[in-house]
Amino acid sequence: MSRALNSSVRAGLAVASIALAVAACGKKEEAQQSQAPGAAAAEEKILHVYNWSDYIAEDTIKNFEAQTGIKVTYDVFDSNDMLETRLLAGNSGFDVVVPSASFLERQIKAGVFQKLDKSQIPNLQHMDPDIQQRVALHDPNNEHSVTYLWGTTGIGYNVDKVKKILGDKPLDSWNQIFDPKEIARFKDCGVSVLDAPDEILKVVLQWMGRDPNSQKDEDLTAAAEKLQQIRPYIRKIHSSQYIDDLANGELCVSIGWSGDILQARDRAEEAGQGVKVAYSIPKEGTIVWFDMLAIPADAKHPKNAHAFINYLMEPQVAANNTNFVNYANANAASFGMVNDEVKNDPGVYPTPEVKAKLFPSLAYNEQATATMARLWQKFTTGQ
Amino acid sequence: MKQSSTFRLSVLVFGFAFLYIPILSLIVYSFNKSRLVTVWGGFSTQWYGRLLDNDQILDAAWLSLKIAAINATGAVILGTLAGLALARFGKFRGRTLLSGMTTAPLVMPEVITGLSLLMLFVVMEAMFGWPAGRGVTTVTIAHMTLTLAYVTVIVQSRLSTLDDSLEEAAMDLGARPSKIFFVITLPIIAPALISGWLLSFTISLDDLVIASFVSGPGSSTLPMVIFSKVRMGVSPDINALASIIVLLVTIGVITAGIFLARQEKRRQRDMQMAAAAK
Repeated sequence: MSRALNSSVRAGLAVASIALAVAACGKKEEAQQSQAPGAAAAEEKILHVYNWSDYIAEDTIKNFEAQTGIKVTYDVFDSNDMLETRLLAGNSGFDVVVPSASFLERQIKAGVFQKLDKSQIPNLQHMDPDIQQRVALHDPNNEHSVTYLWGTTGIGYNVDKVKKILGDKPLDSWNQIFDPKEIARFKDCGVSVLDAPDEILKVVLQWMGRDPNSQKDEDLTAAAEKLQQIRPYIRKIHSSQYIDDLANGELCVSIGWSGDILQARDRAEEAGQGVKVAYSIPKEGTIVWFDMLAIPADAKHPKNAHAFINYLMEPQVAANNTNFVNYANANAASFGMVNDEVKNDPGVYPTPEVKAKLFPSLAYNEQATATMARLWQKFTTGQ
Repeated sequence: MKQSSTFRLSVLVFGFAFLYIPILSLIVYSFNKSRLVTVWGGFSTQWYGRLLDNDQILDAAWLSLKIAAINATGAVILGTLAGLALARFGKFRGRTLLSGMTTAPLVMPEVITGLSLLMLFVVMEAMFGWPAGRGVTTVTIAHMTLTLAYVTVIVQSRLSTLDDSLEEAAMDLGARPSKIFFVITLPIIAPALISGWLLSFTISLDDLVIASFVSGPGSSTLPMVIFSKVRMGVSPDINALASIIVLLVTIGVITAGIFLARQEKRRQRDMQMAAAAK
């Protein structure tokens, strides 16, 4: 989930991150030295978890506490930027955190995480090798992290309104969003785009048939030009409002994250106003993202943290979480225990053909990040 | 004449509507049966029930209230000292620096205050080992830094409008400075202290940015929890909680208002009596 705050806060956090990275450099050695004696002593039965909000089944923590006697303090965040600021400040106090893979990739390089002791996580045997391989692009050899949940970036739409416009033609291609002539047809019923510049630029590049993870100036600029052409037809650029807006019928097409759109579908059903929402993964292929469980290098309770990660990878526990939040997990053994309607939903667990076309969203280098920010600024302001 | 009164009335109505309709709609929608905030699905009190089951929100609310109360008390004590120094101690060395430093948080963007405090805590931890990790203590300290500025300004302005002849008279009669402070000055500026306390309390309860920077495990304040939930769309149990807070705040403001009005009246009466006695 590369959810993001609005851009000014994001800019503030970016500055903070840089400043803190500088401050953190001096302390790294110290932290490593002090780690050894701590590990030898018995750990207090305490664990500090920092996860996305509404991203775990309601009873998971309670069950873990009952089973292990470890008292869990559970805090939540809602943007990778916030998590990153805390991690780079050092000594965040958290034992398990859940960054998205593209952020994790950068943070590993900054030395934020410790290597996992895989002997303490026997449930790793259940992991889906295909996902492990994909994640290894972010975290080489899966050394620092375990996939918690994963999802895709696709198109959510209001079934009836789109049918009125397209007839029997399905909404299943990026072309229907990024071609100015095509998107113009949806203008009056409302289109929204995620406020996640890297992801949008990457899917545009994929649609253009270029390397989606290209960091070349010319590619990014070309993608931004295409975006500029469809700007007049976009009503909103936001990363969360579309959930409720799709559910109450204010928007009819949104680029969004799979679980969020399925959440919109459920809410629309619950409201009973006759709005039907569906999710589609465009046939050109799209981004697959992962939210990763990782242990900060300066965690005070690494043993409990390993136990918690291991617990989350129990097939039944993983299945419960997936059933609750509508995001797929990477635990192959849990698949049989996932509810049928979730398991058979191609929006959650894509078919093998679709899966073959999914690509990861790799971290940008500094220069590409700056270019992206500049291009996105132009896009959002519409100038 | 008639026209101007209709005009005045409509301005008044418009002004009040602008201020209170958002709050009213928040309260009305807390009784909405539907989960979607913008769709009315019938009357229901289910979200209040749901709220009582939501430990995460209730814990955060309780934590926020605790932090706000401790913060307000600390800020009033420190702010009063600073305000007193600025208003009563004439031109001492470093006065400009003190007044500049205390009012700086008023004009500083919260992001900067938050970031600089975070860095301070990180550096202090590296150097002295205190504060060990960030949490409730650091959030409280950070809030105090911000709110003591407000208290200082309030107390200082109150003191400077105050006639210091009362204090001088007490001094003539041989009272020690500490006695003068507790018996004369403090009761007179009590209304300022109360409004300073309430203001600090509200600011702390309200703050998201600074708390986000300096909090640690187990110290997510209510605004932080609400903000992280808003991502998935506002859920109506937050409306329910907000309605309860509005109710409590209304009661608090009315009580404080009555108290302050009485104080003011008594002060006026005392002053008149004093004038008459001359």
